[in-house]
Amino acid sequence: MSTRTETALQARDVHKAYGRHRVLRGADLTVRRGELVAVVGENGSGKSTLLKALAGIQPPDRGEVRVHGRLGYCPQEPVLSPSLTAEQHLRYFAAAYRLPGTERGLELLRELGGERYLRTSVGEMSGGTRQKVNLALALLHDPDVLLLDEPYQGFDWETYLHFWDLVQTLRDRGAAIVVITHLVFEQERFDQLAELVDGRIRPRAHHPEDDHVRA
Amino acid sequence: MSAPDTTPAPGYGQFPTALRFSLRNQVRNRMAALLLVGFVPVWFVAMRAMAAGEDKPLRFRLFATGETLVVDAADLTLITAGLNALTMITGFAVFDAVRRTLVFDRRLVFAGYRQSRLVGAKSLSIALVSAAVATYTAVVLLAYWRPGPAGWSAILAGFTVMALTYGAFGLLLGVLVKNDLEGFFLIIMGGLLDTFLQNPLGNPLANEPVLQWLPSFGPTQFAVAGAFDRSALWGHLALGLLWAAGFTAAGLLVFRLRTRRRRGR
Repeated sequence: MSTRTETALQARDVHKAYGRHRVLRGADLTVRRGELVAVVGENGSGKSTLLKALAGIQPPDRGEVRVHGRLGYCPQEPVLSPSLTAEQHLRYFAAAYRLPGTERGLELLRELGGERYLRTSVGEMSGGTRQKVNLALALLHDPDVLLLDEPYQGFDWETYLHFWDLVQTLRDRGAAIVVITHLVFEQERFDQLAELVDGRIRPRAHHPEDDHVRA
Repeated sequence: MSAPDTTPAPGYGQFPTALRFSLRNQVRNRMAALLLVGFVPVWFVAMRAMAAGEDKPLRFRLFATGETLVVDAADLTLITAGLNALTMITGFAVFDAVRRTLVFDRRLVFAGYRQSRLVGAKSLSIALVSAAVATYTAVVLLAYWRPGPAGWSAILAGFTVMALTYGAFGLLLGVLVKNDLEGFFLIIMGGLLDTFLQNPLGNPLANEPVLQWLPSFGPTQFAVAGAFDRSALWGHLALGLLWAAGFTAAGLLVFRLRTRRRRGR
């Protein structure tokens, strides 16, 4: 039986360089089950690189990443096939995750307000709708650890609020969630604010003045 | 990101799902469809018109028998034109499809798709599309020349192997080159050089042994022998298939490397 204190994701001393440019210089991050963590930082601070290293897409040059349970990863730019419809994407990923059907995917799209576009090719969708599909694919298999790279880009306000409802539900179920963002408003939503500075993660204090927007 | 193998039986089999969507992805390439419908007939007309100025019959050497055939330049050029059109259409269609979906395929593998099933489905879809394009080209050829059932069957076989070879070449380039321009250039120039060097009308040295080392050599020899000599050079057709298999193996190897899961943990 798992408990909320269990570690779901642990990264230790993660290093990553692109040529001579050292992006990550010993980043450490620990996320427990049911915990929602924001990784913040300036543009180019290495947030997406860190997430890719956590997801295993880009292995670190040095360091260790441990993920306990199923992983869901939502890339910053939607990674979709332009000729396929949203429904076909759900089928494709249901096959990838070895799920018996697409019910969960349909439910997710409905919650995000994307069900109208089920039969629309991705190539004909708006940026926000593509992002909904992109996100639904990462959540389709109810992952234990969820890595989201600026997942609400292009969302309208209503979808943005639905997104947070969805995150809250997953969190309540015990999922460990890491959200990459360069906006630090709504800090109170997060259990932990991790700031990426000079390739390392340091805890960021809660600044009430940053809470510009409240749902 | 993948679920363990102990999860319930999948509702959607990975291989049929990947095959279905790979086919759809290639079939929906409008540019390739336009090339197929518009370019093939126009290319036959243009190449036939170019060869029409030749009064003398052409001498074409069959390397397998050592025999030299004396053939109608326009008819021989139609075979070359068909082979050349196929290099461009299948090469371009597969290159474009593979390139557009490479990152997506990688995401699928990260989500738990078996690479072997994705690779198998992709290969089969390329083979099916290539065979369909070759059949269409061979049917269009009948509007300009009627070589008889045996001759046409040989041309169809040569076209199919050629389409498979350049479909596989498109796969290799799609996973290998860094930008579209490089890929298009290599497909167009490679196809033109390869096919026209085999034709004595375009290249007076077309009987030189060095041409045996080009991908279109086998299919050209098989199609010409079948169409003009009623002989079947199976070894040459197999040679073309070897090229196709070689390109496919190299392409799939690179695809496998580029879509593999990297566990840095």
